[in-house]
Amino acid sequence: MNETFFLTIISAAFVTLILKGSFIEGSKYIQLPQWFRDALEFAPPAVLCALVVPGIFKGEIGLIKEFGMVAIDPRWIAAVVAISLFLKYKRTIDTLALGMVVLHASYWGQLATQ
Amino acid sequence: MHDHPPVNLRRCLLLGMHAITPFLPGIIPFGLIAGLTPITLGYSWIDASLGSLFMFAGASQLAAYQLLGQESSIWVILVTVMAINLRYVLYSASMAPYLSAAPRATRLLASYGLTDQIYAVCQRDYPLHSWQLSERIAYYAGGTILLWILWQACTLTGALMGQIVPIYWSLDFMIPLTFLALALGTLKSGAHRVAAVVGTTVSWLALDAPMNLGLIGGGIAGIISGILVKRFHS
Repeated sequence: MNETFFLTIISAAFVTLILKGSFIEGSKYIQLPQWFRDALEFAPPAVLCALVVPGIFKGEIGLIKEFGMVAIDPRWIAAVVAISLFLKYKRTIDTLALGMVVLHASYWGQLATQ
Repeated sequence: MHDHPPVNLRRCLLLGMHAITPFLPGIIPFGLIAGLTPITLGYSWIDASLGSLFMFAGASQLAAYQLLGQESSIWVILVTVMAINLRYVLYSASMAPYLSAAPRATRLLASYGLTDQIYAVCQRDYPLHSWQLSERIAYYAGGTILLWILWQACTLTGALMGQIVPIYWSLDFMIPLTFLALALGTLKSGAHRVAAVVGTTVSWLALDAPMNLGLIGGGIAGIISGILVKRFHS
């Protein structure tokens, strides 16, 4: 087992447990400050979007590792289609499935016409 | 409480299981992804199961695996995990009046088992019943145990599936797709959309920053701009 992996998962588990237990463990109830509540409100859109970016623009997917590069990164096309699909239908699982289909279709389509 | 009906722990345990059931189908695909993607990033099925066992927090598990695959610094991973899991502080605060009188070991287990789903059913049902502590814990345990078993089973199944899926299927791309759908689902106001756009832009501009630090910059910039827009409008 990779040591960095193990260390990361254990520390991440520790951080998670501290957050989950913060108030259940603490016997005194302190009021959460307003800035914290505000940060909490905007953390999901800000952080999740920031996370999407390296997943789409950094590294290489298995398709490209195995069969080589194509003109337009298929992740960009899949992401654009997934965004439009989700905004229109608001269905998470369908968006995931169709995103993967578009990823492959746009890769193989480009490879065939190269 | 002298007028309290006899304590029926078994009934509360079953009530908890019953309350969590509608949430179960929804976690299956995410459990499978959480097990599958570490494999496509080169980890073993044991490694993949460790995240679910130790963290038991889906979205942050996916983030940790994705960032590990991109060789981010451990600090960037921990700050990201913290940002994604910040909401648990709110849940914890809302559960504390009901659970913090429990013995230490029980409190620790309850903290470990805290999820979006159990929070949702407990904050709905605790105020409706005049349950005693042991009954509240039985209810919490019933829902959590069911959710936990399913989550672990799905992760393991996903991990085993991952071993036979060829790398060119590119299933690791399901992580950013999942975050994309989760992120778009949070855009309930103009301020949220501003937070999302700023988070995306800063993260993209700082894409080449070492250790994936651009991610942290994007998250912080997004949060601050969301707060500013909200303050400006009110």
